[in-house]
This record gives sequence, C-alpha cells and structure tokens, in this order.
Amino acid sequence: MNTYKRLDQDDLKNITAFINRDRILWDNEINEEYSHDELSAKQHYPDMVVRAVSTEEISKLMHYASENHIAVTPRGAGTGLVGASVAIEHGIMLDTTLMNHFIELDEQNLTLTVEPGVLLMELADYVEKHGYLYPPDPGEKSATIGGNISTNAGGMRAVKFGVTRDYVRGLEVVLADGTIMTLGGKVVKNSSGYDLKDMIIGSEGTLAIITKAVLKLLPLPKKSVSLLVPFPTLAEAIRAVPPIIKSKAVPTAIEFMEREVIMDAEEYLGRKFPDNQADAYLLLKFDGNSMEEIASYYDKVAQICLQQGAIDLLIADTDERAESIWKARGAFLEAIKSSTTMMDEVDVVVPRSLVHNFVEYIHQLQSEMQIRIKCFGHAGDGNLHAYILKDQLSDEQWDKILNLTMDKLYSKARSLNGNVSGEHGIGYAKKEYLRNSVSDKAVVLMQGIKKVFDPLDILNPHKVCQE
Amino acid sequence: MKILVCIKQVPGTNKVEVDEKTGVLKRNGTDSKMNPYDLYALETALRIKEKYGGSVSVISMGPPQAKAVLYEAFAMGADEGALITDRKFGGADVLATSRTLSQGIKKFGEFDIILCGLQTTDGDTAQVGPEVAEMLNIPSICNIEKIEQVQDNTIIVDMDMPEDIERVRVEFPCLLTVKKDIFQPRLPSYIKQQQTQKKDIDIFTFSDMEDQNEKKYGLSGSPTHVERIFPPTSDKIQQHWQGTAQEISGQIYGLLREKKFIR
Amino acid sequence: MAKLIVHQEKITNSQEFIQICPFNAMQEKDNEVIITAGCRMCRLCEKKGQGAVEYIADEVQPQIDKSKWRGIAVYVDHVDGKIHPVTYELLGKARELAAKIAQPVYALFIGNDIEKEADELLHYGADKVYVCEDSELKYFKIEAYTNVFAKFINEVQPSAILVGATPVGRQLAPRVAARFATGLTADCTVLDIKENTDLVQIRPAFGGNIMAQIQTPNTRPQMATVRYKVMDAPQRLDSAVGTIEHLDVAACDLVSHVDVLSVTKKAKETTIDMADVLVVAGRGIKKKQDLQMLEELAGLLGGEVASTRPLVEIGWLDPKKQVGLSGRTVRPKLIITCGVSGSVQFVAGMNHADMILAINNDSKAPIFKTANYAINGDVYEVVPQLINKIKAGEAVL
Repeated sequence: MNTYKRLDQDDLKNITAFINRDRILWDNEINEEYSHDELSAKQHYPDMVVRAVSTEEISKLMHYASENHIAVTPRGAGTGLVGASVAIEHGIMLDTTLMNHFIELDEQNLTLTVEPGVLLMELADYVEKHGYLYPPDPGEKSATIGGNISTNAGGMRAVKFGVTRDYVRGLEVVLADGTIMTLGGKVVKNSSGYDLKDMIIGSEGTLAIITKAVLKLLPLPKKSVSLLVPFPTLAEAIRAVPPIIKSKAVPTAIEFMEREVIMDAEEYLGRKFPDNQADAYLLLKFDGNSMEEIASYYDKVAQICLQQGAIDLLIADTDERAESIWKARGAFLEAIKSSTTMMDEVDVVVPRSLVHNFVEYIHQLQSEMQIRIKCFGHAGDGNLHAYILKDQLSDEQWDKILNLTMDKLYSKARSLNGNVSGEHGIGYAKKEYLRNSVSDKAVVLMQGIKKVFDPLDILNPHKVCQE
Repeated sequence: MKILVCIKQVPGTNKVEVDEKTGVLKRNGTDSKMNPYDLYALETALRIKEKYGGSVSVISMGPPQAKAVLYEAFAMGADEGALITDRKFGGADVLATSRTLSQGIKKFGEFDIILCGLQTTDGDTAQVGPEVAEMLNIPSICNIEKIEQVQDNTIIVDMDMPEDIERVRVEFPCLLTVKKDIFQPRLPSYIKQQQTQKKDIDIFTFSDMEDQNEKKYGLSGSPTHVERIFPPTSDKIQQHWQGTAQEISGQIYGLLREKKFIR
Repeated sequence: MAKLIVHQEKITNSQEFIQICPFNAMQEKDNEVIITAGCRMCRLCEKKGQGAVEYIADEVQPQIDKSKWRGIAVYVDHVDGKIHPVTYELLGKARELAAKIAQPVYALFIGNDIEKEADELLHYGADKVYVCEDSELKYFKIEAYTNVFAKFINEVQPSAILVGATPVGRQLAPRVAARFATGLTADCTVLDIKENTDLVQIRPAFGGNIMAQIQTPNTRPQMATVRYKVMDAPQRLDSAVGTIEHLDVAACDLVSHVDVLSVTKKAKETTIDMADVLVVAGRGIKKKQDLQMLEELAGLLGGEVASTRPLVEIGWLDPKKQVGLSGRTVRPKLIITCGVSGSVQFVAGMNHADMILAINNDSKAPIFKTANYAINGDVYEVVPQLINKIKAGEAVL
C-alpha cells in the first residue's frame, strides 16, 4: 500500500513561497464542505486546501507534491455524487473555483475557451448572450465545467446533442509531475495518434489536472417548447420512447417522471405542478427557430404518444409555463433528499430501448426489498437516476439492504448490456460495481494507463480503477 | 351558469427601454403572450365550470393578432370567444378601455360571473376589472384567494384583506378578480388545440357598440394623458460599511428607519 | 376623434417604415401600409415617419371649469376604525400639494362606529374630516362604499383625491373613477401639482422598466392611488386644527349585493416566498440556538428566517426555508444575509430582492458583490446590537 506524506508546517511554509497564503486553507481554516461531496456519508479532511488561480501555480504545486509524495485531490464545486472529489488520503485539495474566467470566444471557429472553475450556469448564460448554445445540460447547474469534463457529464439534452465529451475540442492540463501540456485544440478533425484528450475526459482527476478547456458551441435555437405528456402508467410512458426516437423527430430532451416524485417536488418548492391527472409523465423538449417549425416537429410525436396511450399532450410554450415544469424537474434530487433521512443513488445507463425493463424492475425491487426507491431520469438516452431511501431503517439494516439492492440493480443493468454510470462517474463509491461490470482485462488496461500518467499515484488516489 | 373571463395579450417581455433623447419606447422583440395574471382567472373559471357545470367564454380587446390568446384559451378549455378590435379604440387609458370592454361584454351576452386577473404585466394598474363592473352596474370583489362555493345564483369567495380573510357571498351577476396562485394554471392541451383551431370567434368593432359616441373611445375617451416617459433612475446602490459593531448597527438601524422597515 | 392618416406616397421603404412602430401596429396590406387596432396613439410614426403620417387632432373639447373643484381629499383606509398608516402619509402629501395652490385638505372616513377615531386625522393636517357612519358600512362592501364616496364628491367637489393602494383602495378607487368618468393613476411614486390645479402623477410602468408622467387635464376630480411607505409619514401635530363634518346618505344607497359571512384573522405568513423581509442564516451561524437571534430580528422586521443550503443539509432548518437555485427563488423587499458567503447557487435565488444587506466578517465574501450594502462585521456583535436599537426605538442621529 502506497503511503503518502501528511503535510506539516514546513510544507505550509514551502508552498506559501509560491502560492499566496490568502488562498491556502490550513488546519481549522478548512470548512466542513471540503470534507465531503454532495452525497458522501463519511468525512475526509484534506491537510490543506489550495485555491489556485493559474496553470503555473498548479504546475509548481504538482511538482512539489510529486517530489514529496503528497496526494492531490482536484475539486470543482463539490457537487459530485460518488466521492470523486473527496481527499481520502488527506494531502492537498486543489480547489479550482477561483479559475473562473472566460478566456476567449472565437466566433470564427465557434469555440469558447474557459478556465475550469467557470460554473455551468455562468457558461450557459455567457454563450446565450452571444447567441450560442453549449449543449451539455447536466441537472446540477452550479457544477464547474472542469468537474463536468472530469466526469464526462451528460444531462437532459444528450438525446439530441450528445454529452460533454462531444463538446471538448481541446484541453490544457498539468500532469502529475507538473508538466503543462496542451491536448487537441480548436481543430475540428484530429487523427494524430492516440487521443490523450479523450482519456482525460471522464478520468475524474486521476490522470491530470484540467486547467483550460476549449469548448465547441452551436448556434442558439431561438425558441423552445416543452411538452408534458401524461400517461396512465409509467410502463406506457416509457414504452412510448423507442417509437418517438424511431420517428426521427429528435427532441432535445426526453425525461420521465412519476407522480410521487412530482409530489415531493411540490412539497419541497411549495408550488403546484401544472398537471395532476396522471401517475406518469414524459417530458419532451423541442428546439427550433420559430414556433411553427417546432410545432411541425411535435405534431408527429403527438400522434405517436396518443397511439401509445398518452392521455393528452400539454404544451408549455411560454417561459412561465416551461418554468412551472422544469423548476420541479430541477428540484427532484433535493426534494427526494429532503423526503428521507439518508439516501444513495444508482446512475446506470442501459440501451434506450430497454429503459422500461429497468424501470419495471425497480418497481418490483421496491416490494421485494421492502425499501423505497425513487426514480426519474433521462428516458431518451437510457440514463436513470434511482435513489434508494433509508427512511426509518437502522444503520445496520440500511447497510445490509442497501448493498443487496445495489447489487441487484447493477446486475440487472449488466444483464441489459448497460453500464454502471451514465454521467455521475465512478469516484470512490462505485469502484466495486465498475469492477464487476467490466472484464478484468479492461481494469488492467485502465490501471496501466493510470500508471503511465501518474507513476507515483499521487493524483486523486483510490478513485475509479485504483485499489 | 355562464362565466366570462377577460384576457389580454401582452408583450412577451417587460424589457422595454426609453430612448433618453426622444423619450420614446423601445421594445425588444415582438413576442406576445397571454397576460400571466389572466391565466389564473381562466383557471378559476375552468375549475368552477368543472365543479358546477356551465360554460366559459373569453373576451379580449386588442389588435387582430390578439385572436391568438383566445385560441390559447380554447386549448385550455374555454368554450366561446370574442375579440373587440378597432383602430378607433387605439390609445385608450383605463377608463376608455373599461368602457370599450364593458360595451363589448354587453354585446357578447349576459354572464353570471365575470372573472379578471388581478392586473396586467404591461399596465400594472389592476383597475380595469372594477371599472368594468361599475360600468356594468354589478358588484365586484377583488383580491380573491379562494373560491368556496357556488350556491343558488350566488358565489362564496374569500377576499384577501390586509389583516383578515373576509368570506363573502355575492349575487350573480358579479365581477371577480383573482389573486395570482389561486390555482396553478393548467397547460394548453394538444387535443383541445387540434379540436378548436378552426373555431369561429365573434369580432366586435365600434359599430357594434351600444354607445355610439366616438369621443368616449380610444385616445379621445381617455381622461389621463401620458405627458412623457423616461427611464427610472438607477437605484443600484453599492456601499461598503465597516467599523465597530456599535457604529455599524447604528448605520443599519438608520437605513431601516429611512427605508421604512421600522418606525 | 383624433386619428393618424398614412400618406402612402411619402413612404420610401415600407418594410423599414413598419419597424418604426414599437407596438407592431403597422402592417402592409395590398401594397399599402395600414395602422391596425394595435395602435396606442403614441405618435412615434408621426415623429419618425418623415411626413408619411399625419395626426389629425380632436376637435377641441369644452374645457371644464377647474375653479369649481377645490381641495385635496384623502380616503381614510382603516380596519374597524383602526387607521392604516398610509392614510397619514397621504395626508402629509395632500397638505403639501394643497399649500401650493392654497386650498383645503379633506379626509373621507367611511365605516361604523368610527367617529371617535376621526380626531386623530385632525392632528395630521386635515381641514375637514367627513365622517359617514352606518351599521351597513361596518364591512367594506363595494357598492355602498362607492355610493358614499360619490355622495362626498358631489357635495365637496375636491380637485384631487388620493387613495392608499391597499386591497380596499385598489378596488374602491377605480369604481369611483368610473362613475365620474375621470382619470385614475395607479401606484404613483411622485405627486406634484401645477398652479392650474392639474396633478402631476409619476408612476412606474412595464414592471418598473420605465416611468410615466401622467396628467388628467380636463376632468375632475383627479384621482391617484399611492402604495404604503412611498410617501413620507408627517409629524403628528400636537393641536388638532380642522373640524369634523357628517355625511349622511340615504338608506337606498347602502343596499348591497354582497354579504360578509365571516372575517378571519390572517395566519402569519410563514413561507419565505411571500415574505417582504427575509433574514438569512448562513454558515457564519455557529450553533443551532443562535438562529433565535435571527428569528428575533426577523420578527421585529415582520419577516421570516431563511437559510442557505449547508444549514438545511445539517438539519438546522427546514428545506422549505432554503433560498437558492435548488431551493426557492425569493424576491423580498429587504433581505439581510447573516454570515452568508454567497455561493452562485444561493445568489441566483435572491438577487432580485429590492434591497440586499449582507453582514459578513470576511471582506472578500462573494455576497458583497451582489449586496447593496456590504457590511463588514461580526454577525454575533452587529445583530444583537441592532435588535437592541430597534427595540429601544432610538432616534436616528
């Protein structure tokens, strides 16, 4: 087992030589929030938090860490759900949120160059003001773009536009030994050897530290309409998805939601959802340049939905109307969280045609395991978020039932040719399930890559594929 | 029971600016939508209809494009619609608008309940409802936060007053204006939209009005005149205070007094 | 009737020409530009149309005799005789306006068993308080109140009437204005008066994005509503100056189609979405018990305590109290953040508050970028001292 140096006063002094003391948190200056992410149950405090402001600083810091064998955990806004940004080996936590500048909007190449600490919501705002769209749209808008790239975050618009990986043109990174390197660039095509940039994307800070990103933009669609489609049952709702996709109508989002979760959100937000006639809903979103154009897309989808048993299609064509739905959708995670004592999540992804199998399995599992599982997600891309709730269980019962339930959910996903995580990542919490779902050989390959990038294993130890 | 809802088409956004030199309004974008407050009135009407039976009609005053809000109301469940439109009604203030609307309502039919939203997002006056009621000589109740019951040609409602909730019974015909959030407005239905997209609506112009005195309409019939419009002075204050707790708390106290949060 | 005439031959480019209208009220039809019913008669097309649009003015209406309408009247807003403070603010304003034109100030007081309260109005500068009492006027009934108001106007003939923009004033004033076919300007923020007794009224429009100056040049009475806390409260005078008059109305004027069935005291508003004042607890609050201090401050300001996400997560406050992107969006008149650093997700839920006062001991806290008043201090010292000052009602230095 690798042992890491714990930091002492000398390290503080040494690091203060190249990083302003004002931006170093040490000992009891370290807030509680740095000890966990959004969902972790246990706390792990780093010895030091460094709030970096430049690539050069990070380079120096990594050089120092590699010389002294100190573990470094990079962290954005700390909104992850799988413990990827938790400093298990203490050491240095590298907070990139102060690196939040927009460096260049290149309208000739349709790219935006940003620092990693720019928040997703700031990014969306910025590009929209200039008439562009950055398509990846994960639910957590206060996450950083660096974090998004590190988990290859997905979001609701993946149905039409794909995921974060599809919008990263280039990266500037700092390697474990402090080397600064540029991968990819503004080029549209690239067949120049192994794609190291794509390896960094989704590596959760285990291979290198992202210090700059060149993102690809699209022109901003002028209008959007959301359709809320009530169905008598969830099964009918989800079974309508494959025919919608097959129709080539290309909605930007296809979400599913159940009455129960909607009611949690109503309670949480203190406002009513605009419809209550059904137990299950599909939520579709269409983009276009005029209302007429959009209407021509959804006409076809409307016919399909009605054939598949939809009760009606409700049209959210104004900001207020769309907000009444999407505000609820955006609050699901927090709403579920506030409805129970503790919870854990499963973020599996299965082929889209099999989503209904998985959802029906979850329902069955609830009664089998005698535990509440709430579920919502991206019906259009096969990515499901299921939350297992502790409620009044004792810690002991909870551990037992949770593990058993998780095992069952992941093995079901495997049997449907699905994967462990659609967009939240593996981090610390899902390592075991990754192990079980990919071949031994694949794990060996991943560990080999890790060794090449970070021979001393100081970058975010114990995450993803490491022991 | 016949229910009428007054609805208005308003600009899609309130982002207007005033040209400082000419004092003229500059509008961004040309989108329009149903006045958000009217959605609550329409929802209230539909709920009353669903519970007690009857019909829901909608009426609007505006340019020919304002038909769109009537069709939107059909897609939400309204049964009939009428549009009052004529160049002669242009430039109307609250009084002239109320007069035109009340004349149009008389032409449209007799209603037991007339519902209005609390106010519009472009005018913000919250006055047209009660003025229409006065001109129709019927009772009006504003600020309704709950519909309690419909009973023998009366309706019982809760009116939100500064310190109390007053439960009142009002006889038909009457005019009610409802608060925002009385009900969460439903979304337009695709099925209803398909069924009603070719529906006829009544169009009323000046010649349909009972009162044929031209001077009572539009700009001529408006007692108020807008003398000028100008941008508001920016009140974005940014001050940084420091000092002893004694000094700072004194400053905050003074500020709260000045801004009337404490007396 | 006033109208606009389009001279087609003077239009060079009709597409550009149509763009002049901010209300989309010009259309091209059969190769002619026409003005549609969307026209608001703003006459911008006349100003900018280089002669292509001509304004034909109305034939001159006979002017009313403004000298027959004298005095500034204030409607007394009250609940069971308990006078709403907006009334005093309006009396103060009325006093100021009346002084400019050397005319009297009147107050109109309608209700049941209220006369004993009328004296107080004389301490705020009313020259005459017209009191109308009747058991039928115990509750606010729109028809009866309108009739009494009309009787007052016919008898007294005031030049201008100010009404508080309260739930009562906002429904009573328009009915009265409609009955007299006169102008009513809602929610005025500035009022002034000209020598010829024309009231100069300024009010926000389009959600406060523009201000409009409005006059009522040829009808009387002129009417305006004003919200509470817009005008300054005047000093109470030690001596009462004016007189109390009685206004009698016929029984038939008190008939109403409205029955008040019950009156229930409103429960205190406890949702943070609706509160006018919010005091927000942030991570700077060290113990759960310390929230009491913020509760006390909120109580004194008639507001509610809200929270940031971390305090909700550790269970100190209910999730319904959470402000922010993942919580509730609030828009209070005043928000005081206590020990809140100001994460982006928090700020997104409150940055539309009218006034933001942030107390934090970290002078670099991000909340200070959003705050109108960035107050660098220790919450544990500032808040208790502020509470003491409010309780003591100290005079401001």
